[in-house]
Amino acid sequence: MLSWLAETLAVLAKEWRCELRTRYALSTVGLFALSTLFMVSLSLGPMGSSSELRPVLPVFLWVILLFAASAGLPRAFVHEEESGTADPLRLSATPSAVFCGKALYNLSLLLLLEAFITPFFIGMLALPIASPVNFAIALLAGGIGLAVGSTLIAAMVAQAQVRGPLFAVLAFPILLPLLKIVVDASLGAVLGSPVDMALALAFLYDSMVTVASLMLFPVVWNP
Amino acid sequence: MKNILRWSLWLWISGVIVAALLWAPLAQGFSGLYGDAPQSSRIVFFHVPLAVASFFAFMTAAVWSILYLIKRHPKQDFHAHAAIEVGLVFCVLATVTGAVWSKVQWGKYWNWDPRQLSIAIALLFYGAYLSARGAIEDPEVRARISAAYSALGIVVAPFLFFIMPRMASFSLHPKPGGAEMDRAIGTVVVAAIAGFTALFYWMQSLRARMLALEASDLEPEDELAAP
Repeated sequence: MLSWLAETLAVLAKEWRCELRTRYALSTVGLFALSTLFMVSLSLGPMGSSSELRPVLPVFLWVILLFAASAGLPRAFVHEEESGTADPLRLSATPSAVFCGKALYNLSLLLLLEAFITPFFIGMLALPIASPVNFAIALLAGGIGLAVGSTLIAAMVAQAQVRGPLFAVLAFPILLPLLKIVVDASLGAVLGSPVDMALALAFLYDSMVTVASLMLFPVVWNP
Repeated sequence: MKNILRWSLWLWISGVIVAALLWAPLAQGFSGLYGDAPQSSRIVFFHVPLAVASFFAFMTAAVWSILYLIKRHPKQDFHAHAAIEVGLVFCVLATVTGAVWSKVQWGKYWNWDPRQLSIAIALLFYGAYLSARGAIEDPEVRARISAAYSALGIVVAPFLFFIMPRMASFSLHPKPGGAEMDRAIGTVVVAAIAGFTALFYWMQSLRARMLALEASDLEPEDELAAP
């Protein structure tokens, strides 16, 4: 157990070390999200801060997060296969440690992205939030599901020859139910209505996908 | 034996179609948005069985995929692939009949009813499964990855088929287990569900055999020529 934890943390540390060398994911995902946000805000114009449009706005935040995630997260595994480092990684860590390390890296990346883009989003669109705590919990629940689901799908995509658009094609049917639930939760948080049910469902989705991913990852990862 | 089964399936489905169109009474309160389409409720005998059969297709594919992940026999992969392909046809037909019915009854083809959301995601899922297969060349890797994807789908499926339809405050569809219908209508619907499900499994087994033939080195002509 202790050595498994050490392996997981080593994978996580390796991911961050590689990332800080190139800053590929940080800059791509961050700028992707920022430019999409500019586009949303620019095209809505003064409409964006009108009260009639308020219930629609959280949808944009989740669309931005989903597409930014699909631009940056697949790299976790695709890069390993491309640079030929996948086999040494297979030899040096157990599959579940590799999965948990990569998923934690993706989760930390997504939470950073959320912490970066949400204040911009709220500021630019002048969006008042009735229950900031619930909004933050919805962001956390959505982030966990997005990170875990994307990690498993990325491992699948890395085995394919045509990788570019395949990630989005495979990930969206799996992630859409979560997106629908967290959009409902963030709408409730903005309007101040009760969101317990949606948040509970979001965490249920997160735990189900996590367990399934841990079971499926070994067959995806080991040739 | 196989011939008898095939003929009885044909007779059964013909009987269901005749009963659906001529024998079953019309459902109350389904005469169209302006009351000008009294016969429109008969689409229930096709829409509901198609949707149920596509649900079975989803489950069948997942079961064969999980079996493949355990045993790794290529035959199981062919069965899962065939279930998705034939299931996609049933799923498209269920969506189209549902949209047509929705237009006649409520004036819109599509309004993101929870069941429409589920079936739209199911369609995306079938498509994604097939494009994943297309993107991987090595047969063993292709079978492994697509089986894992289909097994992941079954984890998300309860949200689509059970949780979200119940969560929604408004739906055009009856709640699960909450539909009340005339006895004769109910009988024909159940008979149609049985018929269409059997039709699905027959088509799926044919398609699985075709896929196995395509994958083997044997050309179909060779097999026909063999004694």
